[in-house]
Amino acid sequence: MTERALTPMLLLAQSTAASNSAIVTFAIYILGVLGLAWLSSRLLLKKQFLSEYFLGSRSLGVWAFALTFAATSASGGSFIGFPSLVYTHGWIVALWIGSYMVVPIFTMGLLGKRINQVARKTGAITIPDVLRDRFDSPVFGSLATALIVFFMSFNLIAQFKGGSVILQTLLADVPLFQQTSVFTAGLIKGMPFFGQANPGYLVCLIVFALVVVVYTAYGGFRAVVWTDVLQGLVMVGGVVIMLPLALWQIGGLDKATREMTSTTTPDKVEVRLEIPSPLDKAMVIPNRSWIVEPASESSPRRVFRTAELATVPAGSLAATRFVESKTDDPSRIPAIEITTDFQIERIQATPLDAPVRATVIKSTQHVFGADRKGVYVTGPGPEAGKADGFLPLSLAISFFFMWTFSGAGQPSNMVRLMAFKDSSTLRKAIFTVAIYYSLIYFPLVIIFCCARVLLPGWEAESDRIMPEMTKVLTHAINMPWLAGLLVAAPFAAVMSTMDSFLLMISSALVRDVYQRNINPEASEKTIKRLTYVVTVAVGAAAMLAAVSPPRFLQDIIVFTGSGLSTSFLAPVTLALYWPRFNKAGAISGMAAGFVTHIMLYAVGFLLYGEMRPIEPLNFHPFLIGFAMSLATSIGVALLTAPPPHELVRKFFYRTA
Amino acid sequence: MKFPPAAKNRVATDDQYDPVFLHARREALFILGLFAACVTWSIFVCYNYGYLDPGEERAVIRTILGMPSWVFWGIAVPWVVVDIATVWFCFFFMVDDDLGEAHEGDDLAEQIEHMHEREEARHD
Repeated sequence: MTERALTPMLLLAQSTAASNSAIVTFAIYILGVLGLAWLSSRLLLKKQFLSEYFLGSRSLGVWAFALTFAATSASGGSFIGFPSLVYTHGWIVALWIGSYMVVPIFTMGLLGKRINQVARKTGAITIPDVLRDRFDSPVFGSLATALIVFFMSFNLIAQFKGGSVILQTLLADVPLFQQTSVFTAGLIKGMPFFGQANPGYLVCLIVFALVVVVYTAYGGFRAVVWTDVLQGLVMVGGVVIMLPLALWQIGGLDKATREMTSTTTPDKVEVRLEIPSPLDKAMVIPNRSWIVEPASESSPRRVFRTAELATVPAGSLAATRFVESKTDDPSRIPAIEITTDFQIERIQATPLDAPVRATVIKSTQHVFGADRKGVYVTGPGPEAGKADGFLPLSLAISFFFMWTFSGAGQPSNMVRLMAFKDSSTLRKAIFTVAIYYSLIYFPLVIIFCCARVLLPGWEAESDRIMPEMTKVLTHAINMPWLAGLLVAAPFAAVMSTMDSFLLMISSALVRDVYQRNINPEASEKTIKRLTYVVTVAVGAAAMLAAVSPPRFLQDIIVFTGSGLSTSFLAPVTLALYWPRFNKAGAISGMAAGFVTHIMLYAVGFLLYGEMRPIEPLNFHPFLIGFAMSLATSIGVALLTAPPPHELVRKFFYRTA
Repeated sequence: MKFPPAAKNRVATDDQYDPVFLHARREALFILGLFAACVTWSIFVCYNYGYLDPGEERAVIRTILGMPSWVFWGIAVPWVVVDIATVWFCFFFMVDDDLGEAHEGDDLAEQIEHMHEREEARHD
């Protein structure tokens, strides 16, 4: 793709109802985060460095522990991707996310008490520490470290890119951001490496990465936890405010569901847009413009919404795409066509400099659900590309297992379970997170079912539905500043995930690689310096990698998340609960999970030519990998000698 | 498979096991049971009452509190029930155990000690 020179005039023309409130909120929020990092760095001076920097001295109370756990699990996907899914597929997403009802008790209660106790027994600071000590096996510790660094490095790059894209999406209509992007475009033009990047994306990446790396490196785990608390409160606050506003605006949930029942899926089209007579100057047709073809004797009224910025050059009749493609005809403008009767009647054309007529060149219907009423309020849900719908039965079962088991198997969650103060804290935190998730996930389904009715025609850019919905809801009550507060929720969600991953990689390199394998007798001063340097270096490397990120980004996030759980869940669970479990079983179980996961993806890559795993019997690859890991762990442990009695005694018997 | 004789009679009785381990295991079994109940109920209700048959259209749908009835019975109700079960688990079932003092640096100290022992053995 080639992009024409970005001119301030065109960019400003694209902005609709722009407001700087998002950027002001973002700035206030960043100051708050940096302030918390400064406070936590003061504590670092008074405590044992490594335990404080990577584990908060195992002293987290209820609120800190509960909210850091909840906020780390809720990534940007919860506030951007998830609303987009509800909007695109309707009520069936309630089943897709349904297992979140049991996620808090499962992910915290299953391993929490034991992993915290075992880590205390030996003074373990990281998950590889726990595994190494539990089996007295440096080899196993190193294997766990290698897997964490391997998976998390990919994931960190993907999170940096994801965070920047979200920020870019949220700020797209803010004039200050648009002007900064234009300035950056001039600055990087012709520069090696940076010159190829999208300027707006680059601005967001640098801002995002700088803030996250600075506060994480400066304040360590406690800074991450405290900012997670702030971020967690922002997230739940955003949802709690949006829910009644959405219900009030739509006139009740019953009305939303009834209108969704009559809604049919829009068609993806390519249209030729023409004006009746040429103009003296170029005419801009902004992205997301409504184009209405009035009813005629031969055709009913038709309604389209453009999915790209287009312009009609001076003296010309036909519009062309602003972003040119080397292969496609520039006069074929991508759009969607609304097919729901009551929406076709209600929607008015966007006022433009001249009336625009649309001629459909190509039209593509949903593969599942086209022209079928009720498809948004039933399963398996409409799906543009798959014949068996969005959530066929086998996938519904898979996701129920995936969210719970995969969440429990994430090392970033496990390490938080090592940081709470006592078991009373764990009990109260499980309860707190259960209420917290209940206040977030099910209400989000309701809010974005309302959005489905309130804001038709966002299918082409459904990732923008969250900021758009906040704008509409706060405009209705004449409080635009509130929109800034609400869109801070996705910033918060992404940051709270990124900082944890950054610290995980840093702890793996400093503690597990350097201190435990290279120089166990390194002084605290050396370790301290190395920790700061490594955290900043990892962050900087990830940022540079994200300037030109690998393809298949979202797929990488899924690949690494499920790969970590597949490799860690079975060995860690058995290590904590089965005295007979031994080193051979643990190493082979972890290896089996990892290899199965890689194989499913490798075969998928060979078959489909993209980063997509094969799904035997339509089950998610996580389930297959986990089953293999569990079976191998148990089988190999039973076929080999029991563990040394001293180890079993140390971790399972009463102490004298 | 022949196990080393020393290991054979080392199966501990419950009174020898660490009570934290026993409590945590009992709590983990409850959680697994709760998960199994959830997945069975939600999938059964949602699939049987919420899925379209091939070619079927539903122009009218029964709602409860504004949501499709299959969402109400299959997701909303179990969600509330699980929250109640979680309250019971946290405040009436889960035991407040003493998780012990953190032995900060013990594992590293032990590692350094072994390292020196090996070095001394090599010198000898």
